[in-house]
Amino acid sequence: MFYVKTIQNFLLLVIFTFTLSACDIEDDLHPSSNDQSTQNIIADDFTVKDIYNNDFVLYDHLTIGANTSPADVVVLYFTMYCPICTADTAHIFNTVMPQFSTRGTVAYVLVDYLSGSVSTAYDYAVANGVSNPDFFTVLADIDNIVENQFNGAMGITVVIASDGTVLMHEEYNSNNLFDTLDQYLP
Amino acid sequence: MKPNKKAIARHFRAVLITGTALYLIPVDYISPVQAASCCGGGSASSLVLPKFSKAMIDISMDYEHYTGSWDGNGSWSAEPRDLNQYRINMGYAHRLTPNWQASVTLPYVFNQNEYSSGERNTNGIGDGTASIWYEAFDKISCVWDVNSWEDLMPAIYMGGTLTVPTGISPYDDIVKDADITGRGVYRLDASILIDKTIYPWNMSIGASYGKHLERPVNRELGVYVPPRHKQLGDRFNSNISFGYTYFTDEMESITGTVAYAVLREDETKIDGAIDTTSGFRKESVSATLAWATENRDWVYKLTYSHTPSRDSWGEDFATTDVITVGVSHVLR
Repeated sequence: MFYVKTIQNFLLLVIFTFTLSACDIEDDLHPSSNDQSTQNIIADDFTVKDIYNNDFVLYDHLTIGANTSPADVVVLYFTMYCPICTADTAHIFNTVMPQFSTRGTVAYVLVDYLSGSVSTAYDYAVANGVSNPDFFTVLADIDNIVENQFNGAMGITVVIASDGTVLMHEEYNSNNLFDTLDQYLP
Repeated sequence: MKPNKKAIARHFRAVLITGTALYLIPVDYISPVQAASCCGGGSASSLVLPKFSKAMIDISMDYEHYTGSWDGNGSWSAEPRDLNQYRINMGYAHRLTPNWQASVTLPYVFNQNEYSSGERNTNGIGDGTASIWYEAFDKISCVWDVNSWEDLMPAIYMGGTLTVPTGISPYDDIVKDADITGRGVYRLDASILIDKTIYPWNMSIGASYGKHLERPVNRELGVYVPPRHKQLGDRFNSNISFGYTYFTDEMESITGTVAYAVLREDETKIDGAIDTTSGFRKESVSATLAWATENRDWVYKLTYSHTPSRDSWGEDFATTDVITVGVSHVLR
């Protein structure tokens, strides 16, 4: 009788576990191994105010545009100043920037996609120590122009070559960012 | 008339409980929540069934408010925005044999975030858990007096918990980061809980070690990325708590418990390479007030969990305050 009860209880456990597992796991845990990433497309131009109320025009930094402020690479990083964002930003500042400081010109651009106004974006940039334009350009993406183009979210990083080609477009991955810059910069 | 110790002891033998193990193990102990709705989802707690009880149903609600965050150097800064997560947690525990029990939990998560640019509110099922526990003791270990070495024997629970990615994860088909309600990976935790009650005092210590399973990923935060394998870092969680129980004339018990917990998660691996910007650590304190009815078949709980808003109490993680109200019904 004891064994019958034990088996019955273990069957119940299996049912519980199965029920939980079958509880609509919406996530595809085995996604396609085909590369569906949007890399190697040409980025559209955009104009967005920075935190000092200047217009930042993407194509001004690219050879396919006005190229008035030429850069070999533009790195966009979407920030909401969450712990992940501040860790990534610190990594860019402390590790990536020094590593590539002598290899061409890189424009490091933080995209504040949540602050809703230039003044609020400025306040956040100051509070988080990233307001110095010698290191970062901080955009106040009030109308979600950049966010919508790149499906921006916390930590999304976009690397754009001087000809407008998107070289990298993914959640911040320090190894991939290093590899991408290393391959492309002179 | 004030109940005396022997009367209470007799009563306790009658209702066959094991002291504080009756209550829900704190969220931060067994199934720590990867905090902020901005960086992870919700997870319910594991349940531990009282000795000799057949089953338990538990329902609780959490309100979690984000107060700030630590950077990689442990420097804390305040969160000026209004970021909140609400969770409704449902749990069921079932006794399998006199020394084995199993439980499942499932949360429903509401993210409610207010930014300068507007509100972003989403909701969905969070990550569920399935646990199995072995009780390395055969009789109730709560005592009133220590008369022999045997009376010092604690209740020892050893268990395993599988976290199931039932929530909406960053690797899912999401539109915004605020949609996230889960972490998107299976995790196996091995846990131990040592609990000793010498009435009216109680002390428990616990630890768990969790390993995330690697999974393939082809999109993150709504953006398709080159396919890769991702494995979140191992988790270590430890907890210590002290409690005091007061008995009313009607033999109802009111237990106050304070706890301290440390949670650490190692760095993530992407295709085997360490992501140096990942990983975190946090310390938290909590206070719980639990009221149990005379037969200990209904337990009402109120918990306040606080992550100190100070430097060096954590790294690369959000600080939050969590208020939990819940009720457990024990079936004997």
